[in-house]
Amino acid sequence: MSGTRVPFLQPFLETRKLRRTGFCPAFLGGGLLGALVPAVNMAVRAESFTSQSGSPFRILMDANWQLMAQLNIFLVVCGACILYHTEYADNGIQKARSLPMRPLCLFLGKLTILAVSCLLPLCIEALSLLLCRAHWFSDSAGAGRQLLAGLAFELVLLLPTAAAMLFLSSMCQNMWISLGAGVILVFFSSMLPQGSAAVALMPFASPYRMLHQFSGREALWMCALCLGEVLLFCAAERIYHNIRRCFS
Amino acid sequence: MKNEYRPLNLFSLFGVEMLKIRRSGIFWILLIPAVMMWLPSAMNANVNFLVNPFDISPEHNYFIQGYMGLAWFMIPATLIVCTVLLSQTEIRSRGLVKCLTLPVSTAKLCLAKFLVTIVLAAVQLVLSIATYYGSALLASKLYAYDFLLPLSYVCRCASLIYLAAVPAAAIYWMLSILIRTPIFSAGLGLASIVPSVLMLNTEIWYSYPPDYPFYILMTEYGRIAPDVFGAEIQLIPMLPIGICVTVFSLAIACARYGTAERNSDSL
Repeated sequence: MSGTRVPFLQPFLETRKLRRTGFCPAFLGGGLLGALVPAVNMAVRAESFTSQSGSPFRILMDANWQLMAQLNIFLVVCGACILYHTEYADNGIQKARSLPMRPLCLFLGKLTILAVSCLLPLCIEALSLLLCRAHWFSDSAGAGRQLLAGLAFELVLLLPTAAAMLFLSSMCQNMWISLGAGVILVFFSSMLPQGSAAVALMPFASPYRMLHQFSGREALWMCALCLGEVLLFCAAERIYHNIRRCFS
Repeated sequence: MKNEYRPLNLFSLFGVEMLKIRRSGIFWILLIPAVMMWLPSAMNANVNFLVNPFDISPEHNYFIQGYMGLAWFMIPATLIVCTVLLSQTEIRSRGLVKCLTLPVSTAKLCLAKFLVTIVLAAVQLVLSIATYYGSALLASKLYAYDFLLPLSYVCRCASLIYLAAVPAAAIYWMLSILIRTPIFSAGLGLASIVPSVLMLNTEIWYSYPPDYPFYILMTEYGRIAPDVFGAEIQLIPMLPIGICVTVFSLAIACARYGTAERNSDSL
């Protein structure tokens, strides 16, 4: 059968390319590092947090999420860089381009992997938050639901960053350029003012947000707009490939 | 015929390394953050007129706040990017294997590359001072207030900050050589930035070299506003530890440089 395209198999192909790049251990290690943040913070100064009133998750998130989110963003930046580095390192991309496959398929496959891999650190961090809550706080009503909702929300907020970073690294042949640009973007996102709604939606800045900062309706809007941004970056990747073909 | 062979010395090797990165565009990565960081602070320079609890003059506040982002994040991050750049130029197209065929000691090669990292950091230092003066001039024009600090003060302060970054640079360089997979060396380096502010606030800040640049800036802050931070740079635990870490990291880096390429199984 000639010309058969099976786009949904792309993620499985991509996982095989990631063997021996250290991608999985990096996400595992990053997740464990992120999980250490609330545990260490609570262990060192538990009184200042247990004395606060309010939902335990909210206290824990307010105290630790800035650092954990920054670690997650760094992970996404490194992950996106390595995903395209495997293609560019030994001119694998030329071979991939000679296959009967759209370049966008490659992008979507890599995006799927990055999105699924983000779940790993997020789950480890959620588990750590849960353990911290069980160990230091007595009130544990409705913990599971809050945690799952928070986890899903943070995953959706991380997706625009993943798509943007992957788009950037698909454009850069040399890994250090995409890494450098990513680092600069992380830097500026951490300097942006926290209050405004437009900033909250920007890739690289959105993962710092937390679910309890929004009302239910606002949170749904945030999720919808973030998914819209992901589609926007997919479209940008498509257009970029068409333009690149004209010039190379 | 007489044998004309003379081994290359460190400085000619350094020149060769500079040639290798001449078309890499690293200059832009060094320039963009310096410009983009100072522009918003020039635009919003009027926040420095607000009464602050420590009674700092607006021009000092402007300088310290601007350099904070640089010392905390941008210096370590650009050092990491530089080490990735240097190791990538060699690993691509098996450049290092070709280098091993030359009559050059790998330790010298390794040191020459580290020297390039330091020079790139120095370039960023000069750029940051230049952009500081540019933005301070702009802010002075915008708000009709003299934001400029004397050149000697700015240079001394900024140079100390960058000098304090040398141990961290050595550590990142060692990481990039020991850890062959770029994701780990870059990821570990970036992860080390995250807890640096936390470490600075503990008793044992000197045991964590990545927070040295920020420490130097905070002592400068403390000199202007004594309530914020200690004004004296505590050289005694910091300087010996910094030197030991630098020497130790460089020794390991030189010893391990190119070992994977020498092992024929990995080719």
